[in-house]
Amino acid sequence: MDELLKDFLTETAEQIESVGTQLVLLERDPSDAAMIASIFRLVHTIKGTCGFLGLTRLGQLAHAAETLIGRIRDGATPTPDAVTVILAAIDRIKIVLAALECTAQEPDGDDSDLVQALELQSAAADAAKDQMPAPAATPPKTANAEAPPQVRGGEEATLQVRRPETIRVAVGALERIMLLVSELVLTRNQLLELTRKETEETLKAPLQRLSGLTSDLQDAAMRARMQPVGRLFGNLPRLVRELAGEVGKKIALVTEGAETELDRQLIELIRDPLTHMIRNCAAHGIETPAERLAAGKPESGTIRISASHEAGQITIDVVDDGRGLDISRIRQKAIALGLANEAEVARMSNDDICRFIFAPGFSTAGAVTSLSGRGVGMDVVRENIEAIGGSISLSSMLGQGTCFSIKIPLTLAIAPALIVQAGGHRFALPQVSVVEAVGVGPGSAHTLERVQGAKVLRLRQEVLPVADLCDLFGLTHQADEADARLVVVMRVGTLSFGILVSAVADVQEIVVKPLGASLAHLKVFSGHTILGDGSVVLILDPAGLAGSLGLQRSSDYAIVAPTEPPTPPRESTRLILFRAGSGALKALPLSLVSRIESVPSDRLTQSDGTLITMHQGRLMPIVPASATIVRANAIHPVLVISLGGEFMGILVEEIIDIVEEPLDIQIAGGAEDIVGTAEIRGDAVNILDIMHFIQQARPNAPLRSIARRFKVVLVDDKLFFRDMLAPVLTSGGYEVTTCASAAEALALIERGISFDAIVTDTDMPEMNGYHFAEAVHSHPRCGDLPIIALAAHATNPVLAAARASGITAVAGKFDRRGLLETLRACLNRDDLTNTELEQRVLTEKAA
Amino acid sequence: MSALGVQHSERPAFVSGSGTQRRCFTVIDGDEMFGLPVESVQTIFRIEGVTPVPLGPPEVEGLVNLRGRIVTAVSLKRRLSKTPLQAARGALAIGIEHNAENFALIVDEVGDVITCEASAQIAPPPHIDSQRAKLTNDYYRMDGRILPILDMNAIFDFTERNRGNGSAHLNPTIIRSDQ
Repeated sequence: MDELLKDFLTETAEQIESVGTQLVLLERDPSDAAMIASIFRLVHTIKGTCGFLGLTRLGQLAHAAETLIGRIRDGATPTPDAVTVILAAIDRIKIVLAALECTAQEPDGDDSDLVQALELQSAAADAAKDQMPAPAATPPKTANAEAPPQVRGGEEATLQVRRPETIRVAVGALERIMLLVSELVLTRNQLLELTRKETEETLKAPLQRLSGLTSDLQDAAMRARMQPVGRLFGNLPRLVRELAGEVGKKIALVTEGAETELDRQLIELIRDPLTHMIRNCAAHGIETPAERLAAGKPESGTIRISASHEAGQITIDVVDDGRGLDISRIRQKAIALGLANEAEVARMSNDDICRFIFAPGFSTAGAVTSLSGRGVGMDVVRENIEAIGGSISLSSMLGQGTCFSIKIPLTLAIAPALIVQAGGHRFALPQVSVVEAVGVGPGSAHTLERVQGAKVLRLRQEVLPVADLCDLFGLTHQADEADARLVVVMRVGTLSFGILVSAVADVQEIVVKPLGASLAHLKVFSGHTILGDGSVVLILDPAGLAGSLGLQRSSDYAIVAPTEPPTPPRESTRLILFRAGSGALKALPLSLVSRIESVPSDRLTQSDGTLITMHQGRLMPIVPASATIVRANAIHPVLVISLGGEFMGILVEEIIDIVEEPLDIQIAGGAEDIVGTAEIRGDAVNILDIMHFIQQARPNAPLRSIARRFKVVLVDDKLFFRDMLAPVLTSGGYEVTTCASAAEALALIERGISFDAIVTDTDMPEMNGYHFAEAVHSHPRCGDLPIIALAAHATNPVLAAARASGITAVAGKFDRRGLLETLRACLNRDDLTNTELEQRVLTEKAA
Repeated sequence: MSALGVQHSERPAFVSGSGTQRRCFTVIDGDEMFGLPVESVQTIFRIEGVTPVPLGPPEVEGLVNLRGRIVTAVSLKRRLSKTPLQAARGALAIGIEHNAENFALIVDEVGDVITCEASAQIAPPPHIDSQRAKLTNDYYRMDGRILPILDMNAIFDFTERNRGNGSAHLNPTIIRSDQ
């Protein structure tokens, strides 16, 4: 083919796409002079080149289109009819171009229909302009008459600056570079291995440099394959325009983050799912203008598509402000399709019910239109997204709209992977699906259990099926790996399971290569790769593994009864250490936390300004542990706090550890949500003030739980314990007054304020708990006031001293439940006898 | 690596007229010698390390890194239903591209490139084991021995074998014995 023609075709193909997009934008904002000039210039160039190359058919079309666009440039309004005709002309030009590409000849055909329509519109534009009152027509006309040279000049100038920045490269050439770079990396690795024992500095330094350069080159080659996601957005305005016309709705499209970069391969792979989701929004989501006005919404609906890059993933949100999903209809449909029974559905949260639309054959559309309602849709979207290692979630508010959120990896070519060992073999496991690795060897906190021969792992509240990779693959266990064993917990969609391996050998970025045809039938492997040391490993396919385990995908999840809170120890406090927001790690005493939940982000719903999720069939408010919390992961750990029958959750980023440390608050907290800062294992850790979060989430919880509120004075010299115990008592239904010393409490009594009980620390400076108790009981009004002493160790001397000083009961300082029970018993006037007291202490010791 | 083009026709010897020659690369497995169409052979190399493929076809010894490319190593011994041996490091393999997939055929020894005259071609002996008969397509008379030519399509096709080797495979033998 003629070089000139080739250049023309490639250049025009790009230009013609942008003309379509720009026209739709112009229709929305007809006053954008720069835009008109740009469109005009593009069409003009096409026309000019056609004449040069002798492409008469194309030339005629372009000429007619140019005339009409010229009218618009000269001030005529771009009416919808005019834009439609120009778009049709562009489509025709595309057809001719495609034929040119194949045959290098213009195809035969008659364009007179279009040329006529274009001319008609031009004439109409002329007529409209003539009818326009002169003063109104003059300003844009004169402005344009003078402006064009400047506008054109400006256009040209910016184009000239832009031009040298890009160069067109064949995809094949890029792929070849990638391949060569991969080989270079391998050679580099071998060289490094060979020279490891080398001490010669003259060799080492350049080798180091070579190594660094190779890594940079690999990175640069990867980046060369990246393209802005805006490529995907390019044809969306037109799509939305056409959809709006088809369904008779008014829809505006807003795109954000077009500059976000994504691997070229992935851009093509998500084009169809994205288009389908937009169709879905237009057909189901957005209401008709009349419905919208009746609902008090603006007539025109909005579909907002935003792309962003976070934590090695691309998130694309498709949000509409339409009617939202009709939960009751989805519920009925789910029951009708036999996806769940009524009892199950009744127990499910709205988000879970929404997920049914991803089930195959699910459609609630009453009528089958060309757009949707055929029941092939969201399941295909979900499959396509999951096939490329992504995930899709949605949230919806009735009457307010729906938000689909897809998360996809940056690239398919390179993925971080765990290199696991089993039976003397190594396998790569894509990190995307790995949740965590849990040790199950001797001395580990977890052990594998067997249920009817099948291995299961109890992990927090979940029971996970576990497959031994050796058994699955028929590998023999190595003798030396018997003791070090690890369960890698994976999540595929909503399914969690574990695979048993002997060790995680490494974490590497791997270049994924597909399996050859003769091995492609092995569903447990998604590909193979060459590691840094030159050896070949197979890449495990989490979905394939789940399949070979006989696990079925389902949107169901088990509701597990809450576990007993761990028994608090003596002396030191068990703290749960976690990351939330910027700054130091944060901690809460474990005794306050009734359990830890892993909540997928799609199950967190924004409602009335607060986050909520379903917990044991009830709505649970969730408060982020920090204002600066990053919600990047798909799963969020949530600390569940029990408040007299009600629950609330504290959202954190990551649970770091559970430590048992003597607590020493060194800096009192300045912020209202922090009690203070303590040193734990050499790190500064912020201890959170639980009451702050309770007030945010369940402001009425303490009030609601009990009608008659007993008044309790809490005396402790340490702020930490006051702040820890006050919410415990408050949540138990008591009205709490805190005092920092015995003197302060006695002052309150002096002032005539009455209480129902006193909870006091024993070990306090100035006046200790025993003397304080004696002082209280010596007061005429408080002779029989129940006093509960808090002791870290309920040893015999402590009990003896307590009895001697008239203390009613002793409670463990860290035993939250014990304190509440003791208090309740005291207030019911069921005074504990000595034996009972001893029994309590004994059970506590045993625990 | 050989720069020869990879062009397969299933039975080149029959297609070409009499008097044409066929160049074959000889490989030795145990005490047997086989011919490989020379145009299939890309390279000969020693295997550094094999990564076994669990659940894969039994003939597949594993995956091998051949200069940055991952190739599927197939043991000729296993393919010939002989007692499988432990895949030894340093085993000799022939790099073959077949149907856009890269293979390494593990053999005991490699011989020379020899020229087979079409006139020396003989009909397949009728009593050959059916499993074996499928793997070879042509037979040539050589000095003092018969050289079977391995059929690349059959050697690297594991699907048929995976479907099971029941009675269906007996039929060709019976037909042949009738000839």
